[in-house]
Amino acid sequence: MKDKLSLKDVSTVEGQMVSIDLKDLPELALDVKPMPWKPFTEEQKENTACILDDVCVLNIPKPKNPQEEEELVNKFLEGMRKLFSKENNWTCLPMLESSMENCVQCNSCSEACHLWEMSGKNEMYRPNYRSEIFRRIYHQYIKKEPFAKWRYGDIGLNWKTVARLGELAYRCNVCRRCAQTCPIGVDNGLIAREIRKLFSQELGIHPRELHEKGTMNQLKVGSSTGMTPEVVRENVEFIDEDYSEITGVGITTPFDVKGADIMLLHNAGEIMAWPENIAAFSLIFQEAGLSWTLSSKAVAYDGVNYGVFYDDAQLARIALDHMLAAKELGVKKVVVGECGHANKALTVLADRVIPYEYQVPRESCYVTLRDIILAGRLKLDPSRNDFPVTLHDPCNVVRLMGIVKPQRDILHKIAPKFREMPCHGVHNYCCGGGSGFAIMTRNNIDEWRGNISGRKKLWQIGEAFKECLGPETKKYICAPCSNCKGQIRELLEHNDLYSKNSFAYGGLVELIVNAMSNVQPGFIKWEGDE
Amino acid sequence: MMTLFYLLGYLAVLGFICLAALKIRTYLKASPLHIRWELYPVPHEGPKKEAYGGSYMEEKNWWTHKRHVDHWEDIKAILVEVLCLHATYEHNPKLWIRTYPFHVGMYMLMGGTIILVCAVVLQLFGVDPEGGLMIFVANVINAVVLLGAFCIAGGGIALIIRRREDEGLKKYTTAEQYINLGSFVVFGVLTLCAWAFNPSYYQLARDFIYNLFTFNFQPLGSSWFVLNMLVGFFLMIAIPVTNMGHLIMKYFMYHDIRWGDEATIYSDKNKKIIDEMLQYQVTWSAPHIAGDGTPRNWVDVATTNPAAPKNDE
Repeated sequence: MKDKLSLKDVSTVEGQMVSIDLKDLPELALDVKPMPWKPFTEEQKENTACILDDVCVLNIPKPKNPQEEEELVNKFLEGMRKLFSKENNWTCLPMLESSMENCVQCNSCSEACHLWEMSGKNEMYRPNYRSEIFRRIYHQYIKKEPFAKWRYGDIGLNWKTVARLGELAYRCNVCRRCAQTCPIGVDNGLIAREIRKLFSQELGIHPRELHEKGTMNQLKVGSSTGMTPEVVRENVEFIDEDYSEITGVGITTPFDVKGADIMLLHNAGEIMAWPENIAAFSLIFQEAGLSWTLSSKAVAYDGVNYGVFYDDAQLARIALDHMLAAKELGVKKVVVGECGHANKALTVLADRVIPYEYQVPRESCYVTLRDIILAGRLKLDPSRNDFPVTLHDPCNVVRLMGIVKPQRDILHKIAPKFREMPCHGVHNYCCGGGSGFAIMTRNNIDEWRGNISGRKKLWQIGEAFKECLGPETKKYICAPCSNCKGQIRELLEHNDLYSKNSFAYGGLVELIVNAMSNVQPGFIKWEGDE
Repeated sequence: MMTLFYLLGYLAVLGFICLAALKIRTYLKASPLHIRWELYPVPHEGPKKEAYGGSYMEEKNWWTHKRHVDHWEDIKAILVEVLCLHATYEHNPKLWIRTYPFHVGMYMLMGGTIILVCAVVLQLFGVDPEGGLMIFVANVINAVVLLGAFCIAGGGIALIIRRREDEGLKKYTTAEQYINLGSFVVFGVLTLCAWAFNPSYYQLARDFIYNLFTFNFQPLGSSWFVLNMLVGFFLMIAIPVTNMGHLIMKYFMYHDIRWGDEATIYSDKNKKIIDEMLQYQVTWSAPHIAGDGTPRNWVDVATTNPAAPKNDE
């Protein structure tokens, strides 16, 4: 492994290229212990190209002979040529080409990246490391520019370069905080996603959580959770029953109401992992007197669209199914629930992918909820939320959609002890689970999320509550995004921060319901609560 | 020999215009319409929203509202960015103190060139070259050139040193970047020499441009100035074909990508373009796209379910 990493090492180093020394990780105010890396098994080393660092996302089969090595390189180059063709990549080509041609290597992006900072500033995590390798391949092997080696710097292209570049594309949360700081407008997050796309759309290589268990499962049975329409309806009925009892308010979640004003699109993961979120939405919409419905049509009861993270075709297929379901119901708008990437996928990305005649207007639930609260449609008692609350800003909704104020308007109304994290709003940091990592737990990915990608979020949380850390004061981390919640749950669980710091986490709707005066008190639970 | 010098001058100007136009054309032709990839804050949302990074999507039923685009805010933001290098100042101050004088020097020389061209045009229309206005212009140009050249040379040297000394930058700096920066330093130094060793830099530059306009290939009487211009010609060609082309592309990377937030509902043109682009043929080879080799367009791809049970199963 290399102490001082260079760009060329990606093609020359034998075996694992980098290992992050846990002693290099920055200290935090919270009592957080690094999670030791588990060594790869001999079988993995023998058969899988786990040759980048201590993590392995793609599990690319290791080529067994020079022919297979050459085949991998050739397929990669073929994919790269397609990536730079209008027909195959009209969606992103102008952005990609301009990020290829105009970077002046000023490294302004480095300081903005939580991965670089929290890996102890390891060279491999510099946002430009991956981009520059890709850029050199582009100039030298795709455009074949004269004197490319001399002008742009030489880079060796062999199976190791390809395998490591694929993995490198998955050492980025695609939060695009680096792009926000670029004086020119170069976007390293975009480049990471484009490399992922190339691997998926040409080589058929993708993380199984995103593809087989994610988009393919959603297209097959209706949801990435594996829930069929019947199961979803049953589960939501159970949730209605349970939470009618808990809240003391009868809840009925409507399905497939033709002509309703709103089709609410949840991340179906909430149904399984955070039923209180589903119940809270139903309760709020019901009490506010909205005309709304869920869809029980396959795909359309799950707002998840993992295509956002790795594949344009899967993105388009799922977004189209969402739109068609809304059209079929004849709703006036789709309100996307507390799921960051689902909001961006359907509202922003699908906007120029789905033909306009198939589109239905989309609105973020933060906006709908703000309207409900500010219009006084609910009876609220903010004193029920008399504990410190901080807000996590999901990158997809905030930095990438500019929806910043509605959730704050709500919190200012219902949470008297609300405080911002440092670096909030459009300057927030990713939770560390962004771009698909929140649902991955193998090959040291969970260790990576705890040690590196989620570390900056822990720093923010610690800073937000610094005057009341410890078990005495109950505190609430409001994370109105399903994937972010999953990541924060892991961070808290691993470090036992529930009991050490009396943290609870959840969405925005749970906090609203907790303040509703016609609901039985104590909707939000802390560890040790009945 | 002088004729060749003037010919190189024409070629440099023409080359710059053609290469810059080609660069812009390549960008515009890359795709008739890319997906939205905006990044907030977006200035044309207006000062209130820009202050915290808000968008029109914060409004209830935003699609029922008339779209308001504050173009003046976009112009203001890009001017602040270009003239102050605001992003570098905020996120990379150590680089900013070196690159800012370098850029300001370039702006001064570019501005000086525009003023000179205007002065020559006025002269062609009969304004007395020895009159008060032209004397004023001469003084301005001589001052701007001195200061600008000093900034370019000093800033360029400081940037080269920074790129050599900073371990992070060193790894990413290519030979071409050193050549580019070095060329600017040489250009700045030659400008200073031409300024110092001749009675009036303004007069040399004015005569050169006047001669270019009138196809009069007279000697200029200063080797320093000729050398100065030759390096300038080289830079004019180098800018659009290297990463210095960000000078030209920054506009698009900000306005079209970072601030390109126009929803399709507001654009009849985009509604049509989407339909056209969906007819493009897809050749991605992965099994879930067009792996079976059947030609298909994006509509076929988007309406095919690769996870659906096969007919023969």
